[in-house]
Amino acid sequence: MTAEPTEIASRRHGAGPGASGPARDLLRIVRINEEIKRVVAVAFKINIMALNAIFLAKRAGNAALGFGVLSNELRVFSKDLRESMMALTRLIHDAVAEVSVLLQESRQDGLFRRTADEVPGNARLREVLARRDGRRAAREERIATLRRNLRLAVDEAARLVELGGVLAKSAKIEAAYGAGFASSLAQVSGEFDGIVEEIRASLDKLRRSSFFGGRA
Amino acid sequence: MKTTQTFFEAGSHKWTAIVRDPAKPGYLIDTNEYLVQHAGQGLLLDPGGAEIFPAVFSALSAEFDPSRLAGIFASHQDPDIISSLALWLEFNPQMKCYVSWLWASFIPHFGGTAETFVALPDEGMAIPLAGLPLQAVPAHYLHSSGNLHLYDKQAKILFSGDVGAALLPADRQGLFVEDFAAHIRHADAFHRRWMGSNEAKRQWCERVSQLDIDMLCPQHGAIYRGGDVQRFINWFDELRVGVARA
Repeated sequence: MTAEPTEIASRRHGAGPGASGPARDLLRIVRINEEIKRVVAVAFKINIMALNAIFLAKRAGNAALGFGVLSNELRVFSKDLRESMMALTRLIHDAVAEVSVLLQESRQDGLFRRTADEVPGNARLREVLARRDGRRAAREERIATLRRNLRLAVDEAARLVELGGVLAKSAKIEAAYGAGFASSLAQVSGEFDGIVEEIRASLDKLRRSSFFGGRA
Repeated sequence: MKTTQTFFEAGSHKWTAIVRDPAKPGYLIDTNEYLVQHAGQGLLLDPGGAEIFPAVFSALSAEFDPSRLAGIFASHQDPDIISSLALWLEFNPQMKCYVSWLWASFIPHFGGTAETFVALPDEGMAIPLAGLPLQAVPAHYLHSSGNLHLYDKQAKILFSGDVGAALLPADRQGLFVEDFAAHIRHADAFHRRWMGSNEAKRQWCERVSQLDIDMLCPQHGAIYRGGDVQRFINWFDELRVGVARA
């Protein structure tokens, strides 16, 4: 026996006890957004740290030329990371808008299904249900596209962070050549490395989000 | 499921109450919806909240083709009055919603577009239903700051929104008030608390006393008919309202 589109939708939106599918998605998106905000705050911190590192490298002179170049690269990394997070935030905004409407419409779909059960012979009501099914399918398709784009943007940000990690590790090596400033430079580069790891952990968490089919 | 009871009929002109749903969850207030039919067209008065849409639609369908509804009249802005608006409009996007100008930009949060709303002026206006002029009557500050009732001169019926409402016990579920003294006890606390202005109340009592009314139909409780209409107006006129405690 083939299930009616409305039955399929009913199962999809009432997937379990408590929150519906869209409600769970909305919660997942909110969690993703909180993680993105954390990354943005850390990216801002890298920019300030890199600026201080550039001044420190200038004071260290020729011995820290390489360190200075890497500090500058880390500033560029910080800027790229912030832009990447802004793109993610825009996608999150679109996803929240779509999922919120889906959530509201799911509630109305439920009421219409109850109405159709009460008045099974009303042809116009069947038209309304069919129209709503079509609209919901289109919205779910848009959400699926946003989900894919969001996942791609997270992957892209993760690749960027890999580059940040390389820069931080290279800065650690360059710090060893810092003569009298070596210990100060080593401390700064260690902090860079720690922060990049923090971002990496955040992005790994995002990639494991149940919004993308993961378990987090 | 709600039931329909036609309580006025003269040719193609009818008033039907959609009332009493035993399956309604206890946490939702019970509401009366009214359908005015004339020459094949219908106007639904205070169509109710989204949660009871299936029950109202279903009961209405048993009596009248919902696609012939020309519009909705909302006495005021409350969710139990009009939060089902989006669902009615999904069924028939051409439907008009008549509401006080004061709420015309608030109610679209429940649904509808600029084309949906007919903003009623404070002094009220005639609302045509297939040639029959129904009169929106001011009742501002009686429960809501922009509040309107609907008078049908031909049927001598006043739809009075929350004025006259009573929260009835389970053993008093009749459509009409049968024992005014017993009934009004269930209306007392509600009117004292929910009606905001003694001055507005007095004006309303004077205004509706000028109308020829056979039946006064509130959104909750039972319909006042015959001598009970004036009995209610006199009782209300005497009542001190706008107080949190009696």
